[in-house]
Amino acid sequence: MLELIQLILDWSEVWALLIPIIIYKKQPVLYRPVVFYLWSALFFNLTIDFIWKFRTVIPTVYNSNNYLYNFHSIVRFSLFAVFFIKLNQPFLITVKKTVPVLFLVFFIINFGWYENFFNYAQFSSRLLSVEAFFLLFYVLQYYLFKINENVGAKIFTPDFYMTTGLGIYMVINFFIFLLYNELSIRLQTFAISLWNVHNISFIIFNLFIAKSLYESSKQ
Amino acid sequence: MNQANNDIRLLLVVGIAAMLLLFATILLIFIFTQRKKLQYQQSLHSLKESQHLQLIEASVRSEETERHRIAEELHNEVGALLSSAKLHFHTISLAENDCSNLILYHKGNELIDESIKKIRGISHSLHSHILQSFGLNEAIKHFIDKLTCGSVITATTALDYTYITTHLPQSDISIYRIIQELLNNIIKHAHANEIHITSKYEYESLTFNIIHNGEGLTQEIFEELRYTASDGMGLKNIQNRINLLKANLTFNKSNELYFIQIYLPKPLSDETMIHL
Repeated sequence: MLELIQLILDWSEVWALLIPIIIYKKQPVLYRPVVFYLWSALFFNLTIDFIWKFRTVIPTVYNSNNYLYNFHSIVRFSLFAVFFIKLNQPFLITVKKTVPVLFLVFFIINFGWYENFFNYAQFSSRLLSVEAFFLLFYVLQYYLFKINENVGAKIFTPDFYMTTGLGIYMVINFFIFLLYNELSIRLQTFAISLWNVHNISFIIFNLFIAKSLYESSKQ
Repeated sequence: MNQANNDIRLLLVVGIAAMLLLFATILLIFIFTQRKKLQYQQSLHSLKESQHLQLIEASVRSEETERHRIAEELHNEVGALLSSAKLHFHTISLAENDCSNLILYHKGNELIDESIKKIRGISHSLHSHILQSFGLNEAIKHFIDKLTCGSVITATTALDYTYITTHLPQSDISIYRIIQELLNNIIKHAHANEIHITSKYEYESLTFNIIHNGEGLTQEIFEELRYTASDGMGLKNIQNRINLLKANLTFNKSNELYFIQIYLPKPLSDETMIHL
């Protein structure tokens, strides 16, 4: 039974994405980056899980999936940054547009001097935690704008579900991403089981995306 | 080594917990402020609505007062003057062979009689004393009789007499004015020659149906007309009274017949309508 649950959780990075993919209908321009994210995430996660499950069959040079997490992180950050910039919120506009530039600067410096993007042994904890930090900034500025806004509108809007889903995912995973490299060296078993927490938060994230896309297609 | 591992574990758990707590707090603040804003907007909206209703009430009240004043002045002042003129007219003595003056005398007499009748008619139509004395159904019936008397228009009624006007028929006056305005419009603009009015009083709600064979209004035309300033005065007036009564007015067309329905969910209490 436990093995079955573990198997379901191991593949949750793939099947959880199918929930919003199945649910979503034609989306407005604002949500297209999210739709694009879903498909690209499905591609990345499917490849990641296949490499993980068939790592013994695949030649050693190709049986690492860690760089795919790095790719996934960059794609996720870029698409959600586009989503938040395009969201009709006249608040911290310049800062919001500067964040991707800062991320790019960090990326160049980090992978130019300090880390190897295609590291065989581990994904970049620094990249994923910086991504989580910047996305959390976007999430917080969304709430701040809404709190300061004079017009009271519906609370549970599609963008609210999207932001909250992303917020929950990033809040849970910020420290996991930050300490994962360290944990995988010191406490490998704990690190592997900790990934289940990530997977559960990823399922929650996808449920929120599904709700958001469903509500947005209804409007 | 073990201590360091424990520290990293602790940092992770505390970190996740703190982040979750912080996020939950922000989320709660967000939801509470948004709810407060919504409540404030709703109260603002209802305040505006009640102000709007008060304005309508004031305008309807002043209109009704003005109608009463004109009716009374017509009846007491102009009516009395005409009666006095008729008396004076009667005292004129004419020779029996003065044919030309005799014709003029009779014509003048007829005109004075007709004027007195018209003045009385206008005065009664402006005043709601029939309604106050005999109730809404009688007032509508009386108005229809007057409207169709001596004309080619056929009007029939099938009113529900289980509905009884209370001692303060303020809402009934509004209903009466709406029906009066609608019937005037049907004759003046729709050129109908067959009108049928029914009413039904059920579960404290009152429904009037007016059916006619003229060139009437559909809901779309009504909505359009009541917003055009010059032509829609009467319709605006109707809509104002409808809003005040929290009633529903619908226009329909079927098989060359036009249907107007006035639905009053529950006649307003006297307290609500006391200012009318």
